[in-house]
Amino acid sequence: MNEPTIVSFLCNWCSYEGADKAGGARLNYPANIRIIRVMCSGRVDPELVIQALKEGASGVLILGCHPGDCHYKKGNYKALRRTHLLKKTLKQLGVEEERVRLDWVAAGEGERFAEVANEMAETIKNLGPLELS
Amino acid sequence: MAKPKVAFYWCASCGGCEEAVVDLNEDILKVVEAVDIVFWPVALDFKKKDVEAMGDGEIAVSFINGAIRTEEQEEMVKLLRKKSGLIVAFGSCSHLGGIPGLANFWNRDAIFERVYKEIPSNANPENVFPKTKAKVGEKELTLPEFWDTVHTLDQVIDVDYYLPGCAPPPDLIMQGITAILEGKLPEKGTVLAPDKSLCDTCPRGENKPEKLSIKEIKRPYEIIPDPEKCFLEEGIICLGPVTRSGCGERCINANMPCRGCFGPTKEVIDQGAKGLSAIASILGVEDEEKMTEKDMQKLTDQIVDPAGLFYMYSLASSLLKRKRMA
Amino acid sequence: MAERIGVYVCKCGPNIGDRVDVDAIVNKVKGIEDVAVAKSHNLLCSGEGLKFLKEEIKNEKLSRVVIAACTPKQYEVKFMRACEEGGLNPYLMQMTNIREQCAWVTPDKSAATEKAKSFITAAINRVSLQESIEKKEIDIQPDVLVVGGGVAGLEACLSLAQKGRKVYLVEKSPCIGGLTARFEEVYPTMECAPCMIAPELQEILQKENIETFTYSEIEEVVGSLGNFTVKVKKKARYVSEEACIGCDACFEPCPVEVPDEYDEGLSTRKAIYLPFAGGLPNVPVIDKDNCKRFKGEKCSICQENCSFDAINYDDEDKTIEKNVGAIILATGSTLFDPTELPQYGYGKYDNVLTAMQLERLHASNGPTGGKIQLKNGKEPKSIAFVYCVGRKEKGYCSGICCMYSLTLARLMREKLPGVKIHTFYTDMCLPKKEHQKMYKEAMEKGIEFIRSGENVTVTDKGEKIIVGTNGKKISVDMVVLAPAVEPNPDTAKIAEILDIPRDDQGFFAEEHTLMKPFSTALEGVFLVGSCQGPKDIGDAVAQGGAAAGRILSRLIPGEKLELEAKVSEINEDLCSGCNICIVLCPYSAISRDAEKKISVVDETLCRGCGTCVSACPSGAARAKHFTKEQIFAEIKGVVR
Repeated sequence: MNEPTIVSFLCNWCSYEGADKAGGARLNYPANIRIIRVMCSGRVDPELVIQALKEGASGVLILGCHPGDCHYKKGNYKALRRTHLLKKTLKQLGVEEERVRLDWVAAGEGERFAEVANEMAETIKNLGPLELS
Repeated sequence: MAKPKVAFYWCASCGGCEEAVVDLNEDILKVVEAVDIVFWPVALDFKKKDVEAMGDGEIAVSFINGAIRTEEQEEMVKLLRKKSGLIVAFGSCSHLGGIPGLANFWNRDAIFERVYKEIPSNANPENVFPKTKAKVGEKELTLPEFWDTVHTLDQVIDVDYYLPGCAPPPDLIMQGITAILEGKLPEKGTVLAPDKSLCDTCPRGENKPEKLSIKEIKRPYEIIPDPEKCFLEEGIICLGPVTRSGCGERCINANMPCRGCFGPTKEVIDQGAKGLSAIASILGVEDEEKMTEKDMQKLTDQIVDPAGLFYMYSLASSLLKRKRMA
Repeated sequence: MAERIGVYVCKCGPNIGDRVDVDAIVNKVKGIEDVAVAKSHNLLCSGEGLKFLKEEIKNEKLSRVVIAACTPKQYEVKFMRACEEGGLNPYLMQMTNIREQCAWVTPDKSAATEKAKSFITAAINRVSLQESIEKKEIDIQPDVLVVGGGVAGLEACLSLAQKGRKVYLVEKSPCIGGLTARFEEVYPTMECAPCMIAPELQEILQKENIETFTYSEIEEVVGSLGNFTVKVKKKARYVSEEACIGCDACFEPCPVEVPDEYDEGLSTRKAIYLPFAGGLPNVPVIDKDNCKRFKGEKCSICQENCSFDAINYDDEDKTIEKNVGAIILATGSTLFDPTELPQYGYGKYDNVLTAMQLERLHASNGPTGGKIQLKNGKEPKSIAFVYCVGRKEKGYCSGICCMYSLTLARLMREKLPGVKIHTFYTDMCLPKKEHQKMYKEAMEKGIEFIRSGENVTVTDKGEKIIVGTNGKKISVDMVVLAPAVEPNPDTAKIAEILDIPRDDQGFFAEEHTLMKPFSTALEGVFLVGSCQGPKDIGDAVAQGGAAAGRILSRLIPGEKLELEAKVSEINEDLCSGCNICIVLCPYSAISRDAEKKISVVDETLCRGCGTCVSACPSGAARAKHFTKEQIFAEIKGVVR
């Protein structure tokens, strides 16, 4: 199975639970969405995102709590600024901005998680696998 | 007892590292007394065949500066690796790719187009471009291949130590040479400079605010930086936090922010990624709860060329190494 | 020594078993380096399953465990405990979700199997790099800090002060008692408010376990439930609390007179003063902003007149640090300033007052000794009460103004027989058991009720004041406005110090309107009284008791507080003291060690979010159990 994978960093308190809700409701999304649990979207270091791309991921999805609702108060604001700047940098390095997506999914939002996961999978499918020389 | 043999070689470089050796001033006499320089193209008349004639490992240490981007450079450094006991990557270009590493935003074709055709001051009506082979009369002349990608020295050969800096400061060079001659070297692969980043020794650290944040980005030409204040405090991006110390803060003391030439500290793999993370984290942090996503984007957009800024010296050594061409 | 990893894949009955080829995965992972044993199980979370795990750890001499099953959010704690009981540090286990995030969302079995395998491989990679972490505990701080000495705060103090627990009461003004001390009579009991609370005030000041800091404010708070450090600024009083005997001899000679804020500006006070007669503690303060001496002139008249050597001009502000386990905010409220609504004529016409000003006129210890009089000294023959001043602008009903206005109307009737009273109201807010009765009595006493809505304008005509509404115009001697209740001006500052949210109207935000009406988003910080929203004395006292009750059950002296294990730690040898992490921590857990010139994490405050670790430009900061190497190892596994 050579579908390009999408490494998805989900925060323990909101988006990870949202993904669980999606599971509970038996909603479907492509199997190339590969989930890694972190405590907060603020833990997602740009270095880790680039490492994921280098290791073979064709996309990286970062999901945190909605702004204002971060379990650790303000981690997601940092994630927002870092991701903006990272995407700009990646664009300059020939990696399409759409390959990295930061979004917000609350603990109860199973449907939203599935929606975002499906959207991301579609985006990456259209962009094709990321081939780094 | 015979003096240890030493070689200096340069690849894709500016010549500043050779000057750094000369900058040792009187100390160079100590060096010359202690070693036998057997190969140094900029200064001495030894030829490639002289190196080829040596036995494997006969050269005690070769200091190689400059990045690797041609076939010739690859051949020479591989030759020196064979003939040397130790290889020291000398200066930012061989350590990280350096400024020549920024060519990794393009490839050979794009570079040649620009250099041999597009530049306004060119007079090249017949569009003559360099080729690896050309017939001149009866003879065939060859040129070394020019690669798409600039490499660091350790991406081409096995490197024992690194002397960082653009160029490495004289005292760091003397320390390195002394350590080698006395056989008091740390573990292989070490960068011969302190472990901590520049903020550790920066003279502006005294008055730095404990809660350091940036309200808005200022480019160095926009304000006259206060010589007592931390650059970040005034909104000027300084890469000191993400750059190894040991340079003596030459740029800081000239009232210019650090540009990262010493490379990252040992726990950091990608200097650019960490640099942008650190700056983005403190940019606008005081008011982040009141900002909309648009407001935040306006702030980060104030950094017009993040890749060029954060990867200024380290692009070739970064995780992605180069721009992905379409 | 090589690790011995045990991999256990739960079938979860048909939930995982039917949708993922568990046996194929188990066979595949057996071949991975360091995997000593790989097995499947039908239901790992069952009693039998947990027993099986514990035995496996012992029998197979496992050094790491991977459990592939349902979501860790459900049973991770259970499995961690099982590992601990089996002799393995619980942090040497990694649980991966192949049910909610794999089997249940992937219809194609081979795709689901592929995905589950990648998750399990990732977990194996990760667990190899995990480190054991020991549980850390600190003693819970049973003491409590109460900010605000009004009725709500007083109730909380008295409920909490007991053997083994100290209560620190911090009050901004020189005396405790809050707003209640200013009312002569309160509804519905019509009793003397200062007398009503006097026994409580005495008890507060005399009880051994309560330490009161008057003329003090909180300046800095760090920590969370069970472990707060608070800095209190005790402002310089310039009068010694030990030496002063409360004789008031220093007041008369003082040459300075300024409007008395306690009397709503209706009278004056001296620069050395006590907010109200009978105020406790009975020790005056020098208002240094208005005192001649502190403004640079030569004057020591109060000191010269003090026979007890109690006045000390060299007194200084002091900062006192206290460690407490919980904080109660009882900072109260104030009244909206009607000057902002010019149609009511407040500040323009002499005899337009707020209800609070009328309270002070009525008070026996007030500016007129209880005599109700107009600016010209005469008694009013007619009074108009205007309700809902500012209600529309604020967007909420303050809930107490109808009642206190009815009370005042009744008191005016008693004090000024024959006075005509007109009431301009919007709706009558009479919720509780006794309130309807008050309204009925008012109607029977001939008080006119005009349903004006907020459509009221106040103008003058000579010495009279004209109150107009909907075409009707009534001429009166005095107008009494009932302004909206709004949060104290300090509320914003305190919210920032504690980093707690406020609601849209500026009051402190309660954690949940219905289920958690007296806690805040910061665990260990409680709200009581009108700082949370407008309320009457009965409700304020009830809330004070509620918060105290919650604290009594949560903070038990002698108990331990378990700290977060997955904290951030900073390597001293790599930290260059760049300070970038310090501002990022939402819990103020990182501070600068000025001597070593590095950042240091306080493990008792760190919650393990990892924000500092992502930002650290030297890689000196490290997130326990979520290190970059561990996450990178997981990445390597999931991308296959």
